[in-house]
Amino acid sequence: MKQLSGAIHDLASEVVSVLRDGDHRSVAGAGAVRGDEAVLRVAAVRALGADVLLPTTLLRRPPEEPVLALVREAMRTYPPGPDASSATVWSHWAMERTVLRLTSTDGVPDRGGRRPTGAPPTAQPDVSDLESAPWQRLTHQLAVLGALAVPEADSAVAEVARRRSLDVSRGFVRAVRRRDWFQAAGAGRWLAAVRGAPGTLGLDTGLDFVLHMGGADPRVALHTHAARWMRATDPGGGEGAPS
Amino acid sequence: MFSTESTTRDLHKTLETDVEAALNPTEADGVFRDSRECAALLLLAGALLLSPPTPRPKKG
Repeated sequence: MKQLSGAIHDLASEVVSVLRDGDHRSVAGAGAVRGDEAVLRVAAVRALGADVLLPTTLLRRPPEEPVLALVREAMRTYPPGPDASSATVWSHWAMERTVLRLTSTDGVPDRGGRRPTGAPPTAQPDVSDLESAPWQRLTHQLAVLGALAVPEADSAVAEVARRRSLDVSRGFVRAVRRRDWFQAAGAGRWLAAVRGAPGTLGLDTGLDFVLHMGGADPRVALHTHAARWMRATDPGGGEGAPS
Repeated sequence: MFSTESTTRDLHKTLETDVEAALNPTEADGVFRDSRECAALLLLAGALLLSPPTPRPKKG
């Protein structure tokens, strides 16, 4: 686990670096690795999920084929099993959805005929456990599913986050008070994605604080940079819910 | 060669479990700062700073 968490941190750092600097470095796909290192990298891509493609999604760049190939390999190698948790199934769905969105239009396979295996993009996993979850658990689960929080997110998870944005705001404050920077960053990212932060929350200042306190963890930095990017590019200023 | 393949297979099996764990983390324990404890520590530190120096025996 220690080996994998190190690989996940390295990969998240690469994504953060591209998001922060806006340069054209390749994430994960650069450089040939073999043997155990290659196996570990595929596992790290599966764990980080659709966020491996976040620079492509946010910066609206054409996807790089080596990165796409790596994401496809991670999906093939680690498909959700019959007893997989909701988070695992949703994470896999998000990867499928992102690859499909980046390589095709309206769900049509790309010119190479490639299409992610598994469920079609319209069939979404169950979300009932999120709908009925207390706000504390909802915030935790949403932070785990942070890769789904992207601009114009249209998943069922995003719909729950949008509908329960006040609960997510409470969760953001609770996470900051508990100094759970990963959860705070994830909740902040969701609030930015669904434009659900009440004006009184002070989300921008909160995100700066979370980045300052927890930014040494690249997964925290990744969520925070994604949130700040969405806030900065939101024409409505990011304030959605009434204060 | 067989040994290398076997090791890689073992690593893959271990990673399957690790990936599942990474995708389903439990909520981290909160680290709270108790305001009253902080205030008490601040008062103590202030009192120590403002206290007169310890008397020393005069030289000679």
